[in-house]
Amino acid sequence: MEFKQVIGDRSTIRFFDPDKPVEPEKIQIMLEAANRSSRAVNADFVKAVVVFRDDLDDETWEKLKTPTTTVQLDLAPVSIFWYGDMSFAEGGAARLKELVDLGALPTTHGWSHTYVDEVAFGQVVEPMSKDVMASTWAVSVECGLAINQALLAAVDEGLGVGLHAFESGTAKEALGIPDHWIPMWLMLVGYAAEDRKGGGQRPRRPLEANYYLHKYGQPWQDIPGVQDGLRKSGMLQDPMDPEKRQQEIRELAERFGLPL
Amino acid sequence: MTTAADIRDADTVRHWFASAKHDGAPDDYQERILGVLAGFSDLTGKTPDELVAFCFLRKKDTGKRFLSVKRRVQMNEWIDEYVAQEGWQGKDAVVNANVVRGFLIHNGIAIGGQVWRKRPAKDA
Repeated sequence: MEFKQVIGDRSTIRFFDPDKPVEPEKIQIMLEAANRSSRAVNADFVKAVVVFRDDLDDETWEKLKTPTTTVQLDLAPVSIFWYGDMSFAEGGAARLKELVDLGALPTTHGWSHTYVDEVAFGQVVEPMSKDVMASTWAVSVECGLAINQALLAAVDEGLGVGLHAFESGTAKEALGIPDHWIPMWLMLVGYAAEDRKGGGQRPRRPLEANYYLHKYGQPWQDIPGVQDGLRKSGMLQDPMDPEKRQQEIRELAERFGLPL
Repeated sequence: MTTAADIRDADTVRHWFASAKHDGAPDDYQERILGVLAGFSDLTGKTPDELVAFCFLRKKDTGKRFLSVKRRVQMNEWIDEYVAQEGWQGKDAVVNANVVRGFLIHNGIAIGGQVWRKRPAKDA
């Protein structure tokens, strides 16, 4: 699938086909995509535990549910529990020096082993890693980048995905999560039982509401022709049709016996 | 014994019907789901309005209303008890239990519904 089409097709899927298993190879592709994401200081911020639904006991599944994720958890064949690793700074100096040696952090831009030891790691990364608020911010941003790549890879593989909150205490115990991992998102994965695009694109505010040129208060102005091009390439698509969507929900509720 | 007619005009039932657009559904469907809720009312000894009120508590310091996790758990236990009492099996059990949950959901109580699958989860 073309890149822009993948972005356009991604929507949170809430109705999965519970009886159509997900190929483990596709899950690995998602993990590889996450592993290739941009990452500060080449640290391993993101961690994940993949659980195939039928491999975990019913009692644990019940405990993992929150009031609004119950149905999805019952329907999705695969759950990926994403975590951020607060010990990301360990080995950071060596990883940065490796990038210096490879030329990814070039001398032309001021990088050297000495700079890594004395400044980049010694004065920035290591102190930041000891500041809970700063490191939680860094871990969260870096995890978001990786998780998004996994989401897009899943869409590219024809899968449905969605991110949800989860009962982190139960997950920690059930999955053996170490203390230095902090919970990020639960990603549910499966083949969509609903429209593969979740019924159409969700509402978004126009660019000028959130993006600026040169300074805050000077909204980005739409450049004629760009949106037309994005519609052709699939990044911008038709918005959700509420009537059609409600009809689909009724049909899915009938199929799965869900409340209406 | 509580009947569909007894509960139809309760505020929470009217809200449920309006919100879920059950008002426009065929009469026999309306009667059926009202009957399911009426039976649940009997089992719990609470009117529909009381069932909704039961799920909320107020914070001691601010008086602000919040959804009680324990009371939602209690509600699910009553729903299970109701299904067992009525002897509903298979999809009927799930659908009828979710009629009660639908009533609660439309009244602001996010309570997870069960899912009906043709094959039990562990058979795959």
